[in-house]
Amino acid sequence: MPKKCSDYIQDLNDYLDGEISPELCEEIDKHVGECKNCRLMVDSMKMTVKLCREGKSEELPVQLQDKLTSLLKKRWDEKFKSSQK
Amino acid sequence: MVRAVGDFTTLRRLKISFVYISESRLYFFLNHFPPILGLMSERELIARAKAGDFSAFSALIDKHKSRIYGLARKLAGNDQDAEDIMQDTFLKAIDKIGQFRGEAAFGTWLYSIALNEGRSLLSKQKWTELQPVEAYLPSGGSSDMHSEQAARLFDWKDPHKLLEQEELRAIIDNAIAELPYQYRVAFLLRYSEELSIKEISELIGESVAATKSRVLRARLALRDTLSSSFEVKYAKKV
Repeated sequence: MPKKCSDYIQDLNDYLDGEISPELCEEIDKHVGECKNCRLMVDSMKMTVKLCREGKSEELPVQLQDKLTSLLKKRWDEKFKSSQK
Repeated sequence: MVRAVGDFTTLRRLKISFVYISESRLYFFLNHFPPILGLMSERELIARAKAGDFSAFSALIDKHKSRIYGLARKLAGNDQDAEDIMQDTFLKAIDKIGQFRGEAAFGTWLYSIALNEGRSLLSKQKWTELQPVEAYLPSGGSSDMHSEQAARLFDWKDPHKLLEQEELRAIIDNAIAELPYQYRVAFLLRYSEELSIKEISELIGESVAATKSRVLRARLALRDTLSSSFEVKYAKKV
């Protein structure tokens, strides 16, 4: 009995992330080639990850770096001075 | 002597095998020139930090602060909460540095603290379950997408060509923010931080199977939300 689209859905992430066996990969490739909805599903799932990886890099703002360093130094001194007492 | 050990390691890394220097001069050198922290391994920096060396701890944090801030920014969706999560993560790391046993990488240890801090700060956010994966099929639960009853999926084409960059970014950020917290964490750790399913399962304390399912459902839900937004936006452009 041929597999239905829903039979593949649990494996879609592994398929898209290249983490399934070559046999299953070939089988899904074939199915996706024949089923327009599955092809659109797979394409948009790929695009979902691609879009979320894009965008500005979240570099730490310089003023925040300075603030962080002084905050950590203060906590560090409290911790190690109190442990030396 | 601890300092001497650190500096000999540094010399080895610089491939300096022989240094013609008298013992007294060597100790003068070691005591008057600070060790080069940037050349030390993470393990050496951790050992120094545990012994109370702030500059070693600071060097460790320097390596990870942008990634922790980036994760916090994506988890929280705003600058203020991201700043709080990041600061609380590193303050907690100071408190717990003595307990760090090196079983996980230092970065992974920081991630686990950041996720806990994020969870407590964002605890008011929804913690709901997503639907089972089958519900995200266009046929709405029916198993066959070939069938006549199955709705035709919306074709995204290339969103970059059809939407302005800022508009697109806002849609993506909103879609991520709409994911329930535990799904957002799983998705971001997998596809933004590029951790393996096993690493994520250890961080969130779930089985590998449950983690896989969470990542898949997050991806499907995100796809669904983006698809609806694109459909509306594309229609307005026509």
